[in-house]
Amino acid sequence: MVIGAEDWVEYRTGFPTLVRSFLFRKVPPTGWFHTLGSSLLTVFILQATTGMLLAMTYDPSPSGAYESIRYITDVQTLGWLMRGMHKWGASMMVILLFLHMGRTFFYGAYKYPREMTWLTGAIIFLSVMGMGLTGYLLVWDQRAYWASVVAVNINGTAPVLGPFISKFLLSGPIFGAQTISRFYALHMLLIPGLIGAMIFVHMWLVVRLGVTPWPGRPAAAEDDA
Amino acid sequence: MADSPAGSHAHAHTAPHDIDSAVTRSQFLTLSTVGLGAMIGAVIGVPATAYVLAPVFDEVKFEPVNIGPISKFAATAGQFKPIPATFVEDQSLPETSAALAWVHNTGKQNTDWLASDAMFVVFSNRCMHLGCPVAATSLGFACPCHGGQYDTDGKRTAGPPIRPLDRYEWKVDNDSLVLTNRWSVDFVDGKLTYFPVKMPGQPVVVPGPGVVQDNVPDVLYPNVTYEHGPVPKAQ
Repeated sequence: MVIGAEDWVEYRTGFPTLVRSFLFRKVPPTGWFHTLGSSLLTVFILQATTGMLLAMTYDPSPSGAYESIRYITDVQTLGWLMRGMHKWGASMMVILLFLHMGRTFFYGAYKYPREMTWLTGAIIFLSVMGMGLTGYLLVWDQRAYWASVVAVNINGTAPVLGPFISKFLLSGPIFGAQTISRFYALHMLLIPGLIGAMIFVHMWLVVRLGVTPWPGRPAAAEDDA
Repeated sequence: MADSPAGSHAHAHTAPHDIDSAVTRSQFLTLSTVGLGAMIGAVIGVPATAYVLAPVFDEVKFEPVNIGPISKFAATAGQFKPIPATFVEDQSLPETSAALAWVHNTGKQNTDWLASDAMFVVFSNRCMHLGCPVAATSLGFACPCHGGQYDTDGKRTAGPPIRPLDRYEWKVDNDSLVLTNRWSVDFVDGKLTYFPVKMPGQPVVVPGPGVVQDNVPDVLYPNVTYEHGPVPKAQ
């Protein structure tokens, strides 16, 4: 007996059903504003992919970081493109994140029963800010260095915990060789892992609770469908 | 108990009547699993946390450094023209601990660094707002990042810095200028007072009556205190 490849996988894993129930859902009338979330996911995948590729060449040490960045940009085949996508993708991610958050806010999509979706989104927001902070240093030029000095000292002015937070970020009392490796580990292991886990929860909730319709038009879905 | 049957349906009949207060096998196994899991987690988690947080409790150590013959740091009569001296603050981290001191020759001769007619005043170039490097001007110092301005005493005159520029303790050794320590400074009752080094943006003086810095209550800065170890006499 011959069965299709999809059935073969279906009998053994159930994945096709899972993917179908994930992708083919009833949604209320939507517009371009509803594409911001999936745009963010796309940019996150872009950042993760180009980040992994850059990490294959990057050297997170005080003596090697700048040289390895220069090598990626000027020498390596298409290195300029990988780095450029990562750099512009980072800005794009922050911009899209604010737009997505604004859409959620103005649609009232954070209200019951979607509070947890908003909260996981807030964790993703803070994590993306952390990615911006830690990634900025890795370029290891003068701007990166001094911007990070300033950022660490801003953290140091927080009440009570400030001095501890700044020393935690620096991995000691002064800017040292461990600072850049600590930022690197935060940038490519800890924070992305957290973002990935939160995206999973965030999307689980989106699928479970459905897409928010326009506020004030509860019957719109039936009218327009 | 010899007449107790082994079958579970029969077991229910012969169970002791205080069965509800007893720990069942499954409860015991659940507790054991959770307890063992917590222990395994602690064995890994406690050292890992200590490993990550240990640097938080490190303090700055300053090693004396020779920044060159005093002839390099000549006075310019009638003008404020401090001379920059670069050095490495931590020899084990030469690439990240480059430091710059602004050496101001007062034109006087006393080699006691705390004397009122001291030969040099050595300023740190680290802005006390958020740590950018300040440049010397004819009026004092200026920071390029957020516009902090200091006078020729290193005292803030404008912008966001919260206290005067740090100063280096120095001595003259075989006609060479040696920086022996670094101090954060602030004016207490109008007197320049020395404190252990704190990072930029963090006050050395407890905000309180007479020292109005902001509206943040003292309790928010418990680590800022007048108990500051060996403090040289006020200048």
